[in-house]
Formats: sequence, structure tokens, C-alpha cells
Amino acid sequence: MANKRNATLVVVLIIVAVAAILVWRPTVLINGIQAAGLYASIAIPMGLILGIVHIVNLAHGEFMMVAAYVTYMLCIATGIDPFLAMLPVALVTAVFGFVVYKLTIKQALKSPELNQLILTFGIGISLTQVANLIFTSQTRKISFDYVSASVDIGDLSFGVFKFVYIVIAVLMVVGLRLFLTRTTTGKAALAVGQNPRGAAIVGIDVDKTYGFVFALASALLGMMGAVFITTSSIFPAVGSPFTMKSFCLIAMAGIGNIPGILGASILLGVSENFLKAFRATRGWADIVFFVLIITVILGRSIKGKKA
Amino acid sequence: MKLKGSYIAVVAAAAIVIAFPAFLGAYPLNVARSVMTYMALAISWDMLLRSGQISFGIAGLFGLGSYASALAVLRGGMNPFASVLFAAAFAALVAFALGFAILRLRAMYFSITTLALMEIFRIVMQNLHDFSGGPEGVVLPKIIFDGYSPALYWLCLGGLFLTIGVSWYFEKSKMHLALTAIRNDETSARSNGVNIFKYLLIAFVATSALQGMMGAIQVQSYGFTTPDTAFDANFLMLPMAMALLGGIHSTIGPMAGAVLLGIASEWLKLKIPYGHLVVYGVIIILVILFMPQGLFGLARKAMRNRRKAGANNE
Repeated sequence: MANKRNATLVVVLIIVAVAAILVWRPTVLINGIQAAGLYASIAIPMGLILGIVHIVNLAHGEFMMVAAYVTYMLCIATGIDPFLAMLPVALVTAVFGFVVYKLTIKQALKSPELNQLILTFGIGISLTQVANLIFTSQTRKISFDYVSASVDIGDLSFGVFKFVYIVIAVLMVVGLRLFLTRTTTGKAALAVGQNPRGAAIVGIDVDKTYGFVFALASALLGMMGAVFITTSSIFPAVGSPFTMKSFCLIAMAGIGNIPGILGASILLGVSENFLKAFRATRGWADIVFFVLIITVILGRSIKGKKA
Repeated sequence: MKLKGSYIAVVAAAAIVIAFPAFLGAYPLNVARSVMTYMALAISWDMLLRSGQISFGIAGLFGLGSYASALAVLRGGMNPFASVLFAAAFAALVAFALGFAILRLRAMYFSITTLALMEIFRIVMQNLHDFSGGPEGVVLPKIIFDGYSPALYWLCLGGLFLTIGVSWYFEKSKMHLALTAIRNDETSARSNGVNIFKYLLIAFVATSALQGMMGAIQVQSYGFTTPDTAFDANFLMLPMAMALLGGIHSTIGPMAGAVLLGIASEWLKLKIPYGHLVVYGVIIILVILFMPQGLFGLARKAMRNRRKAGANNE
């Protein structure tokens, strides 16, 4: 009973807060949701891997960086639009993710969790540094006209292009949900995620499923990396911050809860942009993530103790 | 007899490194200092690792120590030597306070939290413009020993010796048994009466103090720091790679790894200005996949095999 009252209270508080922000600083909400889309669409592939393969891929952001560079080179070489490049890039990154999985992560599946953490950390460093070797640390950017599209409502003018991220994020959530519940491969993947040994007993090829999930997540991330270059300049370390952010979102949502990632992203995006809206607190916006991640982890550990 | 031999070897090695400035120029001494700093960090990272807790926050405590020392000199007018001790004490205090919360976490949750704390320290230093100088960082009025390089070398060496000493104590005392028991099986350690939290806290505070001290020595020797240099991820990544290569759960392993990688990276830095750090990433991957025990572990295994073979022959 008390729980239910608490939940209602929280919902009411959130609605009041959102309404207040909307009236007072509408840009906070707009920018927040745009940022949330970006965070969520990068975090969802990581959530898929964590939910099914149970590996924290600390090279996740670097995978996206690879996709972004591949797209960049493709666009420069052939002059095609990043949105058209999504499919070929997704293919490339799927293969890339599969190879990385087969060569390294698969070998460490049985070793302690710490070895896996250090291993993927090492993969991340190697990818960043290889990008550094090939492209140097110079930032690169391609400009597109459609990115600057904007809409005016009253005195309010804001860019609309970045809403593409929230669309991608929603598509990913819906697509993955359909895939995991409607297709045989998806159901098998879900079963492996819940209990690898049980899945193996009923005849599911666990190793193949892991490889497939890794490739699928890398493909999704590859598409994301292709779109990413439309709004952001790229450099070798561009992906690194997203690894932490993605993990933070997944930890907030709870492992295996993919739609929850979207909700957590919106909370983070809006609170970050709330701080960014004021000159005095602008520099502190980055800290929101890290404070939140620690709060979430500690909160969960305390809750776990009680249960 | 054998014990005496190894003592003599240690004393001889120490005498040689202390005498380095007599026959090395300023540049090799500078390289030696950076190798020693990484070595001390590698050892301190390993000390906590012996309990099974992997910290991604050593760069955070290193940076915190360098800021504590620089600001104590700049804002508090503290003597530079005293500021090194102050930085160590400050890092220890922060670790003690944080330890109560984060040492209850395990595995990846502990690692990720320490990584997040490092970022928080960096952002705080970047944003306290009036106090810490913001993104531009702080510049000290003068370098310790007026920048006399042999003296700087000995200061750094002193920090390293202290780290090795503490690590050696950890290896030889009851700490070793407690930390190993926690790493192997926490439940059985607890049921055998090991006070897990106490030992983790001691290890965490001690290693943090050492990391803070090395940070302070670094900032006093270079005379400036910025959030990006103080909290550079290299201070996390390089020591990790060194410890892993040399062999974890020992003092000698990280030392060997630091000498090998430190000198190799200095050489590579000249050959490949961009991206020479790829070597570190690749080493981390290869070591985890093919020799989780590191070079030292391999050597130990080879020795044991030979002894076994010898015993079989008899």
C-alpha cells in the first residue's frame, strides 16, 4: 500500500517538474530529449549484449567510433549521404563485432569477470590508438544542410534534426522487442540470456547465439555511428565517454530492461540540459552522469542487502 | 644462506639505482622518473588487486594528490615537502570516507564506481575556477629543489621505495593471507573470521595514500598541473598494462613490467608520435588471453616444472 502511494507521489512529482520546466525553459526539455535519444540509441546495443551475453563491453564507445570513421571514409570517398551509408556500415561493423567476439571475448567467457573487464578495456584502448595511428588526433567533420533545419513556435526557435536520434532509439526498442519475442532466433537469444545452460540442454547453440547477438548489437551501433557523424565532429576518443554513459543508463534501467534504457536516458538528458541552461552551472552538467551512476549502484547494493 | 643472498641482491640493486644520477644525464633521469611513477602506481594498483578488487580509479587519486599538494603550496603557503605528506594524508582521508560506501561493492560495480569517482574529481577541479584554476590548471611559483634533476630523481625514488616497502609488507604480513583469502572465496574467508571490510579498507586507504603521494611528487617536480594532465587516463592504463605484463599479485611482477614497458614506450614515443599507446592495449589483450599470470608467473611455472622434472629424474 505504502509502495503504491510512493509510486503515485513520484509520478505526480515528475509531471509537476516536467510541466514547470516546459513553461519556464522549454529548450531544456527539447535539448534534453534530443540528447536522450542519442544516449539511448548508443546504450541499447550495449544493453542487448549485457542482457544476453552478460559481458560489460568497455570498448562499446570505441566500436561506435570505428563505425563513425568507416562512415566518414565512405562518405568522403563516394560522396553518399550518411543515411544511405547506414546499411553498408552496419554490415562492416557486424562483421567487425563478430570477429572481435570470436577472437577475444569468446576466449574469456569462462574466465573471471575482472578479466573480461580488463580485456574489453584493452580492446577499447587498442581501437582508440589504432584510430590515432591512422587518422591522428585531428577532429574531422562533414557538414550537411539538413542538419540545421529548425522550427519556430512563437519566440521559440529550435533545431529539429536531432530528434532523429529519439526516433532511432524508439525504433530500436520496438524492433528488438519484436525480434526477441516473435522470431525463433530472438526467442532463443532470450532463453540463452536467462539461462545459458538450460538453453544448451534444450538444444540451442549458445556460442552461435552469443556471436549473433554480438554481431547484431554491433550492426545497430554501426547504424548509430553512421548517423552520429551528421551532428558531431569525430576524433579517436569520441566514443569513450559513451561507454560509461551507456553503462550508467543500463544500470539505472536494470540489466535486461531495454525499454527502461529509454526512460533513464530521458531523465539524464533532461537533468543534464537543466544544468546547461544556466551560465553558473553549465560546466557541472557532465557531473550529473557520474553522480547518478554512483547513486544508482550504491542504491542497488543497499536494496540488495535488505532483500 | 639463500635469504642472505637475496638481501644482498636487493641492497646492491638499490645502491645502483640510487647512484644513477652519477652517470646519467638529465634526459635519462627524466625518463627514469616517469618509469618510477608508473611503477609505483602499478604496484599500488596490484596491492588492492590482491584482494580481488579491481580499481579503475588510480588516476583519480593520483590527480587528487597532485591537486592537494599544488593547492596546499599555492593557497596555504605550505612547504613543498610537507605538501607531499599532506597530499598522501588527504588522499588517504578521501579513500577512508569513500571506502565505507564503495568497498561494499563487488566486481564490475566497484570498478565502474571508481572510474566514475575519477571523472567526478576531474570535473570538480575543472569547475572550481577560483580555487583550482579551472581547465587551465595551476602553476607553482617554483619547482621543488629548483629543478635540480638528481634531487628530483631521488625524491621520486624515495616515493617508489616507500611503495615497494609497503607492498612488501603486504606480501609478508597477515595482510597477504587476509587479502588472498578474500580474493579466493569471500564467504569462506568470512566464516573463518576474517574481517573482510577492515582489510579492504586498510588496503584501499594505503594504496590511495601512495597514489596521492606519487601525484604530489609529480606536480612538485613539474611545477604545474591541469585537470587533463592530473587525471590523465594514462595514469590508469599504463600501470595496469605494466602490472598485467609483469605478473599480478606480486611486488616484483609490476616492477618488471614497468621497466620493460616504460623503456619500450619511451622508445616508441620517439618512433611513432601518434598512437604508440596501442602497444599497451594490445599487451593488455594478449596477456589476458594467453598468459593471465604474466611474465613473472610464467617464469615461476617454468621453474616449478624444471624442479619437478629434476625430482622425477632422481
